[in-house]
Amino acid sequence: MQTNGPASNPINRRNFLRGGARVAAMTGLGTLVGLLARRASAQTHVWQIDPAKCLHCDQCATACVLKQSAVKCVHGFARCGYCQLCTAYFIPDAQELTTGAENQICPTAAIQRKFVEDPYFQYTIDEPLCIGCAKCVDGCNRFGNGSLFLQIRHDRCLNCNDCSIARVCPGGAFQRVPVQDPYIFKTGGH
Amino acid sequence: MSKFSSLRFASRRGFLLSGCAAGGVGLAAVLARFRKRTPAENAFANDLTTFSKLDPKLLQYDQTAKFKPARPETRRIGLSGNGSLLLAAGNYVSTLDVSGVLLRELALPETVRCVASAADGTLFVGLRDRIEVFAENGRRSSWVSPGKRSWFTGLAAGDNDLFVADAGERVVLRFDRTGKFVGKIGEKDPSRHRPGFVVPSPYFDVELHQDGLLRVTNPGRHQIETYTVDGELEQAWGRASAAIDAFCGCCNPINIALFSDGRVVTCEKGVPRVKVYQAAGQLESVVAGPESFLENSTASHRDDSVGGLDAVVDRTGRIFVLDLVANTVALFEKKNS
Repeated sequence: MQTNGPASNPINRRNFLRGGARVAAMTGLGTLVGLLARRASAQTHVWQIDPAKCLHCDQCATACVLKQSAVKCVHGFARCGYCQLCTAYFIPDAQELTTGAENQICPTAAIQRKFVEDPYFQYTIDEPLCIGCAKCVDGCNRFGNGSLFLQIRHDRCLNCNDCSIARVCPGGAFQRVPVQDPYIFKTGGH
Repeated sequence: MSKFSSLRFASRRGFLLSGCAAGGVGLAAVLARFRKRTPAENAFANDLTTFSKLDPKLLQYDQTAKFKPARPETRRIGLSGNGSLLLAAGNYVSTLDVSGVLLRELALPETVRCVASAADGTLFVGLRDRIEVFAENGRRSSWVSPGKRSWFTGLAAGDNDLFVADAGERVVLRFDRTGKFVGKIGEKDPSRHRPGFVVPSPYFDVELHQDGLLRVTNPGRHQIETYTVDGELEQAWGRASAAIDAFCGCCNPINIALFSDGRVVTCEKGVPRVKVYQAAGQLESVVAGPESFLENSTASHRDDSVGGLDAVVDRTGRIFVLDLVANTVALFEKKNS
């Protein structure tokens, strides 16, 4: 009768090396497959708004799948005129140029107004309050230098394959941009 | 007959009709989902239609002619000594007769931002930070700005001087006719309680009246200011409001023109309108409102592209208005004149 003792299945050098090589080959193959799979699934492009095509409608505020849109107003300070009567901040017939809610154009009071020096004021967007309605963007572009514009914030955007805002954007302003360069800024002053 | 025979689905016709109806409803739902809404349906619209309506009594001018210049990107309009129109368009200065027929053109190496003509026929062409001078005898010279941030937007030529509205430096520069820089007008000087010009965007204009005084826009303060050629402030008028007798938006008026009796024609952007004010600043009449510049009304400043309106007044009191967005020149004449 044959027994399964150590003598019948010895761990000799050849078997050890053969087993080690097999494990190393399988690990390497798994790593390679994993890397390839990761590269294939990684995002190479993200959605962004071209400010030159934006028509300042309300679709960014209302069509996003998120409850509060991933689109926010951003401010290019180099283009800003620092106006006392900022048409992105004040309603057209404001009774006073004060920070009173009744004078503000923003429905969520997301623009902060800060005195710099007579007669200049700095305007900053409070992003958590901004709903991307573009009302201020329209005011700035209509009368001023267009320093306010909309951008998709990628810390919020889900990067849906079929973006629900892009589908209804009347200006065709939504486009795919490389993930390495995810914003389209208005550059330069006047 | 089964009990189902009384239902519409039981017959082929009923089945097909019901299927078509269901398909139609489905198709309408799909189309509604993909339909692109018009801006008029914007729930957050920045509605300025209230300010676009004008009192008909104030509209005292009729548009009697309109033409499109040959060159695109026309920025400023001027009048030469012989009454022909000067247009700064792209890299060209075009001279046209009052009906829009091109008489001659002058090519420049860069964008022409303003143009003016002196009584002796000398032509002054403003580029970004220098003046190109073309004398009647064909001699050409170039005057460079003393400022580092210069952005020339307006010119006014007198018999002895040239005045340059510099939006970048926010001053009016004075040169003598040899090109020598004489001084700055309207410079901010807290020690003399001079607040300076407020020019948030590249719209800043100067005109020299035959009374020898300069009229300068101060768009950030919504005012027209009168200066002596030596820089002393004589008068300022104008207020900010969307009301018809005031200047709307952040920075208006953008350009002005002068009647020989001192009345001022003002041009506004945002809500594009051209108005006539008496010399002391009371609104006299409206030349044209937003309905005359529909394309201009919806234009916005997406980059450094041109926008707004400009005007000149000829010797007979006719007003030529340049629409920078539509790239048209319209002639307005007083009603019943």
